Amino acid sequence: MPATRRSLLAGAAAAPLAGLLPMPAIAQNRPLRVGIIAPRAGVAGTVGEVGLRGVEFAVEKINAAGGVAGRRVELVIEEETSPRETTERARRLALQERVDVIQGIVSSGVSLALGPVLEESRILTVYWDGTTQDGVNETMPRSRWVFRSTDNECEAVMGSLMAIKHWRGQFVTVAGINPDYSYGRNNWAAFIAFLKRFNIEHRIVAEQWPRVGGMDLTANVAALKAANPDLVFSSMLFADLPVLMRQGHAAGLLEGRKWVFPAAGFQHTSLKREFTPAGMIFGHNTLYFADPQASPLAREFVEWYHAKTNDWPHWEADRAFFAMEVWRRGVEKAVQAKGASAWPSNAEIAEAMRGIKVVSLGGPGRMRRDGIAEQTFTQGPTVHDPRYDFPILDPAKITKLDGRGLQKPEGGDFWKWIAEAQFDI
Amino acid sequence: MSGGLRRALVALAVLAVLAAMPFALGEYRTTLLLPVFGYAIALLGINLLFGYGGLVSFGHAMFLAIGAYAAAVSGTVLRLASFEAALGLGVLAALAVAIPVGALCARYTKIFFGMLTLAFGMLFHSFLFRLYDITGGDQGLRVRRPTLLGFEFEDLDKTEFLIGPFYWYCLALAALLAWLMWRLVHSPFGLMLRAQRDNPRKAEYLGVEVARTRFIAFLVSAAYGAVGGAMLAVPTGLADPELAYWTHSGTLIFMTVLGGFAHFAGPLLGALTYVLLQDQLMTWTPYWRLVLGVVLALIVLGCPQGLMGLPALLRARFRPSATARPVPAE
Repeated sequence: MPATRRSLLAGAAAAPLAGLLPMPAIAQNRPLRVGIIAPRAGVAGTVGEVGLRGVEFAVEKINAAGGVAGRRVELVIEEETSPRETTERARRLALQERVDVIQGIVSSGVSLALGPVLEESRILTVYWDGTTQDGVNETMPRSRWVFRSTDNECEAVMGSLMAIKHWRGQFVTVAGINPDYSYGRNNWAAFIAFLKRFNIEHRIVAEQWPRVGGMDLTANVAALKAANPDLVFSSMLFADLPVLMRQGHAAGLLEGRKWVFPAAGFQHTSLKREFTPAGMIFGHNTLYFADPQASPLAREFVEWYHAKTNDWPHWEADRAFFAMEVWRRGVEKAVQAKGASAWPSNAEIAEAMRGIKVVSLGGPGRMRRDGIAEQTFTQGPTVHDPRYDFPILDPAKITKLDGRGLQKPEGGDFWKWIAEAQFDI
Repeated sequence: MSGGLRRALVALAVLAVLAAMPFALGEYRTTLLLPVFGYAIALLGINLLFGYGGLVSFGHAMFLAIGAYAAAVSGTVLRLASFEAALGLGVLAALAVAIPVGALCARYTKIFFGMLTLAFGMLFHSFLFRLYDITGGDQGLRVRRPTLLGFEFEDLDKTEFLIGPFYWYCLALAALLAWLMWRLVHSPFGLMLRAQRDNPRKAEYLGVEVARTRFIAFLVSAAYGAVGGAMLAVPTGLADPELAYWTHSGTLIFMTVLGGFAHFAGPLLGALTYVLLQDQLMTWTPYWRLVLGVVLALIVLGCPQGLMGLPALLRARFRPSATARPVPAE
């Protein structure tokens, strides 16, 4: 076959990356390189930093135990910014740094853009918190290289079930204050769908859509106060959530009504007791730092994190740990299947990751055959505890649910699933 | 050798070097040049307004977004795989928006022109962000891989497509549009544009229709922006509202100032330098924005003519008789 420009450009170096050829034996001596893409500034900057701590903890443990199938792991970190810039960073990791896998991504907008690029370029990727959903519909149902996190709506599904479980019959008028992007809109729609599904008599009295990262919510707070709802559902989760709580407290909005914050765990230590009343439903997603039933591994992580940062971790650390764990287990499974003859290709590793079960920091989870994660979620009503200057979950009322009960099945329609599935509340 | 011939030879040499880049650079560095071409085209348009017309637009990212969304709509909604169709649609859409916006903005100059363009840019961003059913809201619209001149290149994966046919296509388009812009700024229209920049009242006295000249420059600039936007969207595979956000407009101005708005090739150098600088800084430090800010401050203070003005600045430093004071684009 004559050499073409294409073959020259693609070359032997790109082939192992693409998973088309087994890596040469010499490559087995080098460390495995993991590319991490995480936000490090702006509205999701702290989220990225917590995720990076989860990665650091995971890699410390992996390397202390002898690496992945005998090979040490080293990290190459890039920043997640806009879709265009992040696509360039991902290409840099794959084409320049020659990483073996890319992990990370928090923003839905970025992960949606990146998914097809990574898939077309055959780059093995495990998202932390990124999705490939357009709204609630999957855009990459048969992805081969891109593995994504749980459905975005899991926490809203659980928050809705928790509201119904704890407060059925105690509210009629409901209001929503949700971030003005598809995540917020879908979560609010899911909550209303659950009220209908469980025949909860309700009346919507206000819908507020503040801009993500907006730091003045006085108009939204005033509108909610004027509507005087019995229950407010809010999937706000970034730095604007403590602002809502402060301004709501100052306006007397918070007291005397029920609140559901399915994603409050992202900001839990910023929601100080002096302006955050107890008795709200808080979602801690896939990691609750003070879980009385936490595994020894999770306790070790929380102590390690607290010693390093003097803060308490949230779920992004677990998502990062889970992504690393799924990949590690996939590599080891593929190596075992391949035998000592050669290192498995990325295609073989990707295949080995399908259906794999892992124990993450927040509890057991798995990577479904369709490349979508299922993890354990934690939510419950809050109490004030003198040991912390922010609300924690009432230890007697903590609920943990398996991800299988919180997201639509493979290939399923989200709204049809809500209407027809059996929910255990 | 005449100046024109020398310039043409230099341009051809640069073109030849750029055409050989996929063979000389690695895959990643070659993909980095794609946004350079997209931005270079958009900046040629912006500099027609800024450098030659004296009008600073803070909302021009709107036209890049229009080009990107046109590429998305062309491929996913209209099912037109052709990139030429996407470019045509982008230019038509940009002109449809630029005609009313330009008709209003061209009546103003200085801060009023800047603020008006900023307002329209943010209005358009809100439109993209809020109308979920039409624009995909915050998630934007997917841009599919287009065909080029009717060829699909289906045996190439995305990276191979980008660093091969798409690279040379974009380079050729950028060269063609740069040549057209060169002709434009050196035509009587270009003279009229510079005349109204330097002294609008005198230009009017001499028979220049000032508002009409600015309006035409605005339309050309919008069309260039749309072409650049469509070229940016293909490697990313997405048209998203952030393309129209005011910070992106600021980045465009930054690139123009960085390269030197007083020179025809300044914006091209600005685009190249910005993309490469940002790439390196993002690799070195999470505080890359801070460094970019410092670079901008240093350029404005120390080298107001941008990188293209650097040789003159150095000559002035070592030969006191030479001058390095800022001069408008000629």
